[in-house]
Amino acid sequence: MDPRGAEVALRLTPRAPGGSPAVAAWAVGLLPVAFMAVLLVAPLLRLLAEGGSLAVLSTWGDLWQDDYLRWRLLWSFLQAAITCVLALAVGLPVAWVLARFDFTGRALVLRLLMLPFVVPTLVAALGVLALAGPRGLDLQGTPWLLLYGNLFFNLCLVVRAAVEALAHVSATRIAAARSLGATPWRAFWRIEWPAIAPALMSALCLVFLYCFAGFGLALVLGGQRYATVEVEIYTLVAYELKLAEAGALAVGVLLMTGTVAVIHALIERRLAAPARAQGRPLQRPVGMAQWGAVMVALALLGTICVAPLAAIVWRALSAGPAAWAVLLEADTVAALWNTLRFSTAALLLATLLGLLHALAARHSMVLRAAAFLPFVVSPVMVAFGLLLLYPQWTASLPLLLAAYALLAFPFVAKSLAAALDNLPAAWAQAARTLGASPWRVFWRVTLPLVAPALRRGMAFAAATAVGEFAVTLFLSRPEWTTLSTLIYQRLGRPGAANLDAAMVLATLLMALALLAFVAIDPPERPSRHA
Amino acid sequence: MSGSVPIDRFPFMRPCVGALNGMAAMNRQQLLRLAPALLALASNWAIAQTPELRLVTHASFELPKELLADFESKAGVKLSVIKAGDAGEMLNKLILTRAQPIGDVVFGLDNSLAAKAQAAGVIEAYSGAAAKRPAAASLPNGLVPIDYGYVTLNYDRAWFAKNKLPLPATLEQLTQPRYAKLLVVEHPATSSPGFAFLAATVAGLGDKAAFDWWARMRANGVGVAKGWSEAYYTEFSQNGGKYPIVVSYASSPAAEVFYSKVKLTEPPTGSLFLKGGVFRQVEGAALIKGGGQREAAGRFIEFLRSGPVQQALQTTFWMLPAEPGTPRDAAMRHATDPARYDNPTPQSMAANASDWVSRWTRVVLK
Repeated sequence: MDPRGAEVALRLTPRAPGGSPAVAAWAVGLLPVAFMAVLLVAPLLRLLAEGGSLAVLSTWGDLWQDDYLRWRLLWSFLQAAITCVLALAVGLPVAWVLARFDFTGRALVLRLLMLPFVVPTLVAALGVLALAGPRGLDLQGTPWLLLYGNLFFNLCLVVRAAVEALAHVSATRIAAARSLGATPWRAFWRIEWPAIAPALMSALCLVFLYCFAGFGLALVLGGQRYATVEVEIYTLVAYELKLAEAGALAVGVLLMTGTVAVIHALIERRLAAPARAQGRPLQRPVGMAQWGAVMVALALLGTICVAPLAAIVWRALSAGPAAWAVLLEADTVAALWNTLRFSTAALLLATLLGLLHALAARHSMVLRAAAFLPFVVSPVMVAFGLLLLYPQWTASLPLLLAAYALLAFPFVAKSLAAALDNLPAAWAQAARTLGASPWRVFWRVTLPLVAPALRRGMAFAAATAVGEFAVTLFLSRPEWTTLSTLIYQRLGRPGAANLDAAMVLATLLMALALLAFVAIDPPERPSRHA
Repeated sequence: MSGSVPIDRFPFMRPCVGALNGMAAMNRQQLLRLAPALLALASNWAIAQTPELRLVTHASFELPKELLADFESKAGVKLSVIKAGDAGEMLNKLILTRAQPIGDVVFGLDNSLAAKAQAAGVIEAYSGAAAKRPAAASLPNGLVPIDYGYVTLNYDRAWFAKNKLPLPATLEQLTQPRYAKLLVVEHPATSSPGFAFLAATVAGLGDKAAFDWWARMRANGVGVAKGWSEAYYTEFSQNGGKYPIVVSYASSPAAEVFYSKVKLTEPPTGSLFLKGGVFRQVEGAALIKGGGQREAAGRFIEFLRSGPVQQALQTTFWMLPAEPGTPRDAAMRHATDPARYDNPTPQSMAANASDWVSRWTRVVLK
C-alpha cells in the first residue's frame, strides 16, 4: 500500500464511533495533562510571578543586548544542532547494520547502549575525561569535548529508534524494488528512509532538546566557556536569586525549544505511514563486506558509547578489594534498596502516564507537542517553583517520585506514539466489527502490536529514573540516599579511596541498570516465520 | 460490591473485584483476627506523632547515626534532616520559602552568607548557653559558630617535584608565564569555596588590585570549574586533570591521608598559604524564623556544640571544632593552619557579594 494512500484512508475513517475524537483524546489524556499542569506549568508560572512578570518582559531587551548571553544562546543552539547531525551521520548506518545482521551479543549491544543514561553526570564526565582528557586525546577546554559527551549520551536514542523502525520496513517491498533493478542505495532512499523518517525525527528532536537544555554535562565538560544557557539560568536562580532575569531567559529558551517541539509534532503526524509489514528477518553476515560492516559499526559504538563506561569499570576493577568492600557497607545496601524501589515506583507511574498520553496524542496535535514539555522547561526553574508553590510538600517522597516520573514518562509516550502512528487503523476496526469492545481491542490487538515500542520506552524511562538527572536540584533526606546520591557524596570529599568507592558504586549502578533493561525489554526470540 | 460492574468487559480487573468482594464478606471474627495488625499500625502512627524537628542543612552534612539517634531520644523528637544543596543554594531556598518555612533550625550558613541571611530575615537569633560561650571562631549575632576551616590553595606535590618548579610565593607570581595554566578555581557564583577565595583576594590585595590580578590570571590561563567536586576530581592533576593547583581546604591534605588506599606518612597534596589566598570559613547554626519546635531546635544547636559532635565533625565535615578545648582529631594533624587569612567583614561581603561576582564573571569569563 502506498503510504500516502494509507494516510488518506486513515483520515477518512472515523476513529472513535459515537464521539468526537478530540474530546475523547482529552478525556484519556486528562491524567498526564493534569500531572504536567500541577508539577510543571504551575511551578514555572509561580516562579515567573515571583520574579515579577513585568520585570521579566522589561529585561528581555537587555538580555538580547548582552553579547555574553547572546553567545550562550547561540552556542546552545549550535551544539545541539551539530550533535543532531553527528548522531544521524553515525547512528543511522550503525542502526542499519544492527537491524539487518544477527551476530552473537547483538541483543547485549542494544542494551549496553543505554547505560550512559544511568551513570551520574560527574561519573560520566570522569569516564569521558579518562579518554579525551589530559591523559588521553586531550580535548579538554575545546568544544569537541562537549560534542563527544553529547554523542556519548544521546547516540543510543537515535540507534534504538532507528533499529526498531528498520525492523518494520516491509521486506517484500525492498525485495520487489531490488528485483526491479533498484540499487541498495536507491532502495534505502525510496523505501526504507520514508518508513523510518518519523521515528528518526522523533529521536533527533529528543536529542536536540536534551542537548539544548543540557545542563550537567555541559557544566562539567564544556567548562565555563562552552557552557550552555541552561547553566546560566541555573546560576541566576540557585545562586543569585535573580528571578526576573532567569525567568526572561527561561521563557526565551522555552519559545525556541517549544517551536522545535511543535514543528516536530506537525512533521511527525504528516510523515506517519500506517503500514505494518513483515520486516526482513535478521541474517547472519556473509562475506568480508558484511562482517566488515558489523565490525565498523561495533567499533564506532565501542569508541563513542562504551569506552568511557569501560574506563569507569576498569578504574573500579583496578581499585582492589579494599575499594570493593564499600558494597558491603550498610549505607550502600540501603542506597541500593532505595534505588530499586524509587525507580520501580517512578517507572510504573511513568508507564501509566506515557500510555495514556500516547493514546490521547493520537488525535491532538497540542498533546503531541506537550510530551516534550518536561524536556524543554528548565529543571531548576521547576525545582524552585515547586518549593515556592507547595512548601508543605517539599522534602516529601511522593513529590520526588512524581518529579522522576515526570522526567521519564515522555520516553514512553514518544516511543508509543510513533508505534501507534504506524498501526493500520483497519486492524482495530476489524476487531471492532467482530464484536470486540474498545477495551478488548486495546488489550488484545493494539497493546500486543505496540508492545516492543512500549518496552523500549520503558527501558529508557527506567534508565532516566535510575540515573536521576535532576536529583541534586530537589530537597533530599539522608534516609532517601540512592546510589546516585551516594556517588555524589563520595565525590564531595578528597582522597583516593573516595574516588575508588565512587567508581565501584557506579559500576554497581550500571550492572543493576543492565539487569533492569534485560528484564523490561528482553531480547526478542528468533522469528518463527523466518 | 454491586453486581452491576460488567466485569467481563474488564477481564484484567477480575482479581481486584474478587478482593473487594472478599472484604465485604469478611465477618467480625476475621476482623478481630486482624486486630493485632491494626494495633501495630496505630502504634506506628503514634511514633509518627512524636514531634518532628526539621533541620535544613547543606549537602555535606554528615554525623554518626548513633549521635543523632542519641539526640532524638534525649530531646524526644524525630529529627528530619533536609539537605538543600550547596550552602548558597540552601540560603536562597530559605529566602524563597520565608512565608512557609521548610525547617525549624538551620546548620551550614557561613560567615560569607551570614549577613545576607540576616538581611533577608530568614533566621532568628538563638540566645542559649552555646551562643554565650566563647568560641574559637566567631560569627555575627544570631548565628552560633559550630566549626571553622580555611579555604586555600592546594598543590599536587608529585607534579611540582617532577617539573622541578618552585612553589609560588605570592599570588602575583601565579600571573607569570612559568606558572601559566597551573591554577583552577571554582566559579564564585556556584561554589562556596570559589566565592571564599574571591573574597580573600579582594580583602588581601585590595579591591582594584584584586580584579587586576584576576584579569592577568585570565590571560595566564586560569581554569574555572563549576564546583569543588568538578575542580578537584576532573581538573586537579592529582586526580588526572591538568591543573596542579586547586582552590580547596587546608584540611584536604589530611583527608587525602585519611582516605588514602595505602598508608601514607605524608599527604600527596599540600596547602599553599599565600597573602590574599586564604579565607577563614566559619559555619554556624540558627533558628529559622517562623519555624516551630523552638525548644528542640535550641537543644539541637547545643547538641552541635557538644563534645562528641565537635569531635566527630573533624572527620565528617573536615572542619575544626568551634568549642574551645576540644581535642584535635589525630587525622587532622596533617592539616596545617595558616599564619594569616584575609576575610572581608561580613557586612562588606553582604553588601558587595553580588557586585564582586558579576565583576569577576566579566573579568574572567566574558
